Amino acid sequence: MRLNHIRSILLASLGLLGVFIAAIAFADDPLVYATIQPAQIQLGESAQFTITNLGDGTNPINIPVVSGLKFEIIGRTREVQLINGSTLPSSSIVFRVTPQMAGIFTIPAVTPKAQPLVLQVNGAASGANIPHPSRPAAPIPPPIFSGGSIPKGVHLTDDGSAYVRLSVPKRELYVGESVPVDIEVGMRSGFVASLNGLPKLTNDDFALNSLSRQPERTEKLINGEPFVLLTWRSTLAVIKPGAFSLAAEVPLTVKIRTRPKQESSLDDRFGDPFWQNIFGATVPKDVNVTSPAQELTVHELPAEGRPADFHGAIGTFSIASDVSPVKAEVGDPLTLRMRVTGTGSFDRVDSSMLDHLDQWKTYPPKSSFNTSDPLSFSGMKTFEQPVIASKAGVQELPGLTFSYFDPNTRRYETARSAPLTVSISPALADTRTAPQAPSASLPESEFAAGLRPDHVETTTVSSLIPLYLQPKFLAVPSIVVLAFAAGWVSARRRRGVGDRESATDRIASRAAKRALAQMQGAARAGDAALFFESARTALQSELAARWQLAPEEITTAEVEGRIGAENDIRQVFALADEAKYSGRKLNATDFARWLRIVRGHLMSDKTS
Amino acid sequence: MRAALVVCLLLGSVGARSESEPVGYSAAGLYNLGNSYARAGKPGMAILNYERASLLSPNDPDVQANLRYVRASAHLPAEVPDTFDRVAGIAAPFWLSWIGVLGLMIVGASVIAAQLSLRHRLVRGAATLLGVSMLGLMFCNALALWPRLHQGVVIAAATPVRVSPVPMGDPLFTLPEGEKVKITAEHEGFALIETRAGRAGWIANSNFAPIVPR
Repeated sequence: MRLNHIRSILLASLGLLGVFIAAIAFADDPLVYATIQPAQIQLGESAQFTITNLGDGTNPINIPVVSGLKFEIIGRTREVQLINGSTLPSSSIVFRVTPQMAGIFTIPAVTPKAQPLVLQVNGAASGANIPHPSRPAAPIPPPIFSGGSIPKGVHLTDDGSAYVRLSVPKRELYVGESVPVDIEVGMRSGFVASLNGLPKLTNDDFALNSLSRQPERTEKLINGEPFVLLTWRSTLAVIKPGAFSLAAEVPLTVKIRTRPKQESSLDDRFGDPFWQNIFGATVPKDVNVTSPAQELTVHELPAEGRPADFHGAIGTFSIASDVSPVKAEVGDPLTLRMRVTGTGSFDRVDSSMLDHLDQWKTYPPKSSFNTSDPLSFSGMKTFEQPVIASKAGVQELPGLTFSYFDPNTRRYETARSAPLTVSISPALADTRTAPQAPSASLPESEFAAGLRPDHVETTTVSSLIPLYLQPKFLAVPSIVVLAFAAGWVSARRRRGVGDRESATDRIASRAAKRALAQMQGAARAGDAALFFESARTALQSELAARWQLAPEEITTAEVEGRIGAENDIRQVFALADEAKYSGRKLNATDFARWLRIVRGHLMSDKTS
Repeated sequence: MRAALVVCLLLGSVGARSESEPVGYSAAGLYNLGNSYARAGKPGMAILNYERASLLSPNDPDVQANLRYVRASAHLPAEVPDTFDRVAGIAAPFWLSWIGVLGLMIVGASVIAAQLSLRHRLVRGAATLLGVSMLGLMFCNALALWPRLHQGVVIAAATPVRVSPVPMGDPLFTLPEGEKVKITAEHEGFALIETRAGRAGWIANSNFAPIVPR
């Protein structure tokens, strides 16, 4: 009886254990599940995330928290589903998921046994993440590295939600030097709501150049907790010398626990923030997470040994040059290329090394930069400069030099390229020799068939400019014009003298005729005084013109002095005086004789 | 008499200098050079030398025939001279230069003779007209040749015409080899040219040659 009682108790206990196990098994059935559509989107698009609760819908559902994803409730549905002939009510909450950055995001599972969902967000402008059509649509979850720990020297925030790490490769820098740096932000999954800005430095004496817009995103287990790691790469530019303390800070919104720690220890044991959020255990708070400070020493560039052609480039470089084509004609443009390869501040690598190409006509070079990293810290800068040879012959382009400061050796270095040789032939248009005839194996050109035959060479001229436009020839017509102008002036002057003489003769002739007519009138009237007075006046005018004197200066004494006392003119002068005072009378014969004598003097002078 | 003696001496010196020039141009030489380039398949240089030969010998039928033939073979449009050009090119510029000088002398002599004597007025008038005509012929020749003195021939195939006088200048269009262009300006190895269609741009000096070498 006692044994049966014990057996009954054991059976009852086994039954209760079976019911308990069945209850547990029933409890683990997936009453809540989630879906996301589509699983792959572009940055700037949104996906639809749906959490469905099969049951009475009394379980509260909160918004999931994933760094880089923004969840918004856009609708709730309630319906009754028919499963295996029995009705089952269900409720769903529909979220719009908007990514804030490109990457692969893991949305925590809504139940411990369910699988987490993965959303792949491709960069809007990059085609690198666009899946191949042959690949399956489902994205590949990012690798999760297990066994990690907090990097050395880095500490989590007080609530353990995030950390920031600034990696600088060296502690001693030079002014003007650029060094690549990494800024890593670790965000514990479910504890960081959003990233509110890009990382920045806490010291204004440094600058971040070429900070990547999209950080690299990975997931990692650190101390057994899942962390999302965002890594920005940039170059640190040093502005002034001195000793500095440098750190980086990142603005975040984290979830702060609102319940005492001991009450949330159960949540921590579950380890799933989804269940913490379901029960509303956190509130968002904006914080700036700062990295541990690093001590840096910045030196001035040494003045000693600074080359004259140093223009501020710091790093490690090498140069090479080439020219193409290596054979050209005078006036043809050649392209001189100079390539600077290495790591460092390529923005200070300029084309001043091309300024020493004497005897070459140069044009401003153009440059291009092919970088091998997104920070433009290493790569190859190419300068292409057109140059034109001004004279024929074998010409040499001198070797190029480029000076820089090498922070590794801590001194100035000069890279050199070898000189280049090109062969320049005379310009085709300047040659007066016939071109080389086509070789026998090649046919003559299509132009040869219809050409007329060559001519026999004749005399040559020194210039193709027409002779009448050549300065030396223009002297000929100029001299001809001057000579004829001189001849014309001379002829005109000679003709002018003759004209003046004949005019004088005409005037004198008219005066003589008037005097003779007056004498004839006096003879007819028998007036001897008037007759001789007219004769004397006419002779005075005639002699005055001949002797270049005034008519009144032609007196009897003047006539005697010049032509003697025994002549007809002297007698006319004397008879004029006598007839004037004596009243002498002449007969017709005397009048005729003296008239003939005076006419003879007057008219003979006109013809002589 | 003295002036005539000076003129004769000057004419003699100019002629002697032309004869004694060791290196020069001749119509036959340029024509033969054009033939050589044509046979070598370089129509640009061939046309250039034919154009130069026609400057010295404008009425040489072989030069004109080969020039037309090469232009046609290079698919360039034919050039038909107008009446003015034909009349103005009745003789070579060399001879027209001396004809002009002779005309100048005839006109001058007539003017002086008119000053010296009033007789033979009809003869003097005819001589003056003859001299003026000879001078006018020279001026017409200069007027007809003036555009060609500022033209060039493209000697490279598919020569790019650029917006600016630098090798990196953006190309506007290309010119075929043998095309004649008007040169309006020059700047550091480039020439601003204008085509017959009125399009303008810069081409490298190495791609063309002026008809009259500078």
